[in-house]
Amino acid sequence: MSDVKPRMNGDGGMSVEEKKVYDRQIRLWGHDGQNKLRTMKVLLIGMQGLGAEIAKNLILAGINSITLKDHTDVSILDRCSQFLIPHDSQERNRAKASIIAAQLLNPNVKVSADTTPIEDNDESFITSFDVVIATECSPLIYRKLSDECRKSKVKLFIADVYGLFGYFYQDLNFKLNLYDTVFPFDDQNNIVPIIKNKPPTYVLASALLKFQLDFHRKPNPDTSEKDIEELKAIIDSISPDEECIKPDYFNEYYCELFCELSPSTSIVGAVVAQNAINSIMGNLVEGYNMFFYDHYEHEGKFHAI
Amino acid sequence: MAATIVGVFQPEMQNLIKDSKILLVGAGGIGCEVLKNLVLTGFSDLEVIDLDTIEVSNLNRQFLFNKQSVGKAKSHVARESVLKFNPNVNIKSYLGNIMDQNYDASFFSRFKLVINALDNKKARAHVNRMCLSVDIPLIESGTMGYSGQVEFIKKGVSLCYECLPKPEPKSYPMCTIRNTPKEPIHCIIWAKFLFNQLFGESSLDDVSMEVNEKDDLPKISAREWSIKNNYDPTKMFKKIFIDDIQYLLNMKDLFKNKRTEPILMSESILKEDYADYSHESDLKILDLFQYISMFKDSIVKIKNKLDLTNGKNLVWDKDDDDFMNFIVSCTNLRSNIFGIPLKSHFDIKSMAGNIIPAIATANAIIAGQIVIHALRALSKNYERCQSVFLRAKPNHKGAILVKDKKLESPNPNCFVCSVHGELILRLDTTRITVRQLDELILKKKLNMVLPDVMADNRILISSNEDDELDLYSFSLNKIQVVHGSRLKVDDYFQNYSVIIMIHHKEKATDEQPDFEIFNNMEDLRKRDEQLIAEENAKIVQETYDCVIEEFEKDDYRVDKVKPTYGSIRNEQTDTDMMETIDSEHEVSDAKESLTDSGDQEVSNEEILALKRKSGNEEETSEPKKSRFDE
Ligand SMILES: [Zn+2]
Repeated sequence: MSDVKPRMNGDGGMSVEEKKVYDRQIRLWGHDGQNKLRTMKVLLIGMQGLGAEIAKNLILAGINSITLKDHTDVSILDRCSQFLIPHDSQERNRAKASIIAAQLLNPNVKVSADTTPIEDNDESFITSFDVVIATECSPLIYRKLSDECRKSKVKLFIADVYGLFGYFYQDLNFKLNLYDTVFPFDDQNNIVPIIKNKPPTYVLASALLKFQLDFHRKPNPDTSEKDIEELKAIIDSISPDEECIKPDYFNEYYCELFCELSPSTSIVGAVVAQNAINSIMGNLVEGYNMFFYDHYEHEGKFHAI
Repeated sequence: MAATIVGVFQPEMQNLIKDSKILLVGAGGIGCEVLKNLVLTGFSDLEVIDLDTIEVSNLNRQFLFNKQSVGKAKSHVARESVLKFNPNVNIKSYLGNIMDQNYDASFFSRFKLVINALDNKKARAHVNRMCLSVDIPLIESGTMGYSGQVEFIKKGVSLCYECLPKPEPKSYPMCTIRNTPKEPIHCIIWAKFLFNQLFGESSLDDVSMEVNEKDDLPKISAREWSIKNNYDPTKMFKKIFIDDIQYLLNMKDLFKNKRTEPILMSESILKEDYADYSHESDLKILDLFQYISMFKDSIVKIKNKLDLTNGKNLVWDKDDDDFMNFIVSCTNLRSNIFGIPLKSHFDIKSMAGNIIPAIATANAIIAGQIVIHALRALSKNYERCQSVFLRAKPNHKGAILVKDKKLESPNPNCFVCSVHGELILRLDTTRITVRQLDELILKKKLNMVLPDVMADNRILISSNEDDELDLYSFSLNKIQVVHGSRLKVDDYFQNYSVIIMIHHKEKATDEQPDFEIFNNMEDLRKRDEQLIAEENAKIVQETYDCVIEEFEKDDYRVDKVKPTYGSIRNEQTDTDMMETIDSEHEVSDAKESLTDSGDQEVSNEEILALKRKSGNEEETSEPKKSRFDE
């Protein structure tokens, strides 16, 4: 292998070696698709389990560059799904701790770590990327990113996983609703979802976001019982007497809403990554801005909300 | 790991995760993702088996491997990579074939759950039978391109892997390959046959170059001819692409339609200068002289490789550049002669290698769903283990992951998982030999490993090598296996037995299949009605005088196949196309181990579901000499 010198061969400058590595996917999306991928620059905010999955899938696919952005420290809960951090890593920052394993996935991709909180960057920061993918942020940051990305025409994904449940918002053709239209806020920055004719997964996602705004954190296994009660109260408050939602519909979910669990990060992270890839290649199915993975129903479904 | 953190799971689930020993069969595309998900979820007692080593073309998706691990055993490297993010798990890795006799019933019975991440039907069917025999639940999976599926299998609770008929591989008439190609694929198959005749192990009819200058002289094979001429590239070119074509043109009635008639190349072409092709893109179609140069170069290079084997054969491999150049040049030279559009190196490699596209994301989605199913299965929540399908595009409701409404009950007539498995085998008892029964029907078609066959307390086939029965060359009627005979077939290794009822039907025409298998008499009758209907409707189909199976594609159901429990036919016509899909992982049986992950190839054995025009008494493993005028 080492004696094969990379040579240009009229296929967009891919080396022979790259063509061998990407062969099985080039046969799916073609050389043109692969060449578009090779220009794709991604900002990935949040390097917990879901971030690790998204990073893995994009790096394997052979994008141009990815910036892993996280200002927080590695936590014991990362063990549920963060496979890019070696068990004996001395590095405390999540992004920095992930970078060696991430780069090893594919030497052709430029992988870098960024430990600045996104709120400390100015508006122009996102404009050097084709796609911004945000996870594990506050809904207020999501709202701000949605506005900024729409203004700069940067494709945006906002994704989160709660236990085995997960969802994402996407803004790819800059035509559908902004984040704060999907999840409306009131004057006090509370989420006030309009749940009429919405799927139960939307209600659950809204409740979880509201929980995050109220408590400045996600539900936590340490305080699981208390958090379940809080969540139930939130759901009751946002869906009073809604006949479309059975009162005990969510009971099944409650015990599986903690941490980012690997089966769900694996699924949601792959759908996010594939949609990001499709959006760069122009293969996207238009008309959807939300995706929910419902682990109870074994259903992964796009919606227009 | 999730299950070690209090509060993540309910205590019962937490214990189930920590205590359940799981077997993962396959450490390829899905296997790598499943292993990661299992370990992160907190499963800590795992065994993983795979017989493959890592290749460069795996690296776009099998993320536990990297450049440094190319050539090493997948199972071992996967284990080491996973231990980097969690050293506190007990993982045992095996480099081996799951169909090997080391992995017997007592091996399987140690597990709470088995997960299949395989790439071939044969191994899947085998694991299915092993799990049924020891009553261990099994999760079966597959992906192709953007799509995939997860199925749960438990004895008496769900469909088993073999409850529903699988789509048959596409097949091509041998005479089209040999004499009247019409599409690029015909020339590709021909080129692969030619490769095996010249350099590999050929168990097939010669597709070219039966040399009989005078009719009274004994014919020599293409291989013998080539050796006699010391693989001289120019002579071989003339023989294969000029003389053989002249031979075809001399055959009366072969080309009634002028449009399909081959165009003879002038011998002056042999004097043309060498045309360099080495810097051309594999997407480009080259000119004729470049293909001639490529052909001659490949002959010389492959001959050198053959010499290094010390009298053994070469095994075709799509990742060998010289082998591929031989296939590409032969395909396009022949296509050119027959007026068939030429194809690029890239496209010919796809078809010749039967390369199935594979991406990381589809594997990750399926692997996530596998672990969700594992959690439901371990807590015996079987009704929530319905089949789940990953769609390439959202359906009209926007769904890409879709489940079946309910877990399907077992097929009461399944020849594998029902209590009294019974099959009807329709064949011409004067033509099918005991060897064909053993190799083509029991092992290849019915996926057995070590079958024993009894009829009226007589042993016909024994898996014990000490039993020297020597009945292989007899046709069935010669040993009193006739219409109405009941064969008791046992595979002790798979702990599987089935009664096979023999239904004699004279093979009157060549189009008729050599054998057909039915689950019951009703299916047999339905099949006959269908045949009559087809006859009446005068559906003009090509004459399949000698059908070959192109390759064994794996099964995949995007939408449910209706449980018709119909016949398992040993041929398929073009009109029978069903969506087939291959899944993607890496444990395959030894004969298929030449394949890359996710790819299946035309191996000699698979090709050899050959409907022979005559001479059915011959043993199937013997090459049968052909004549052009058959
Ligand atoms: Zn069955």
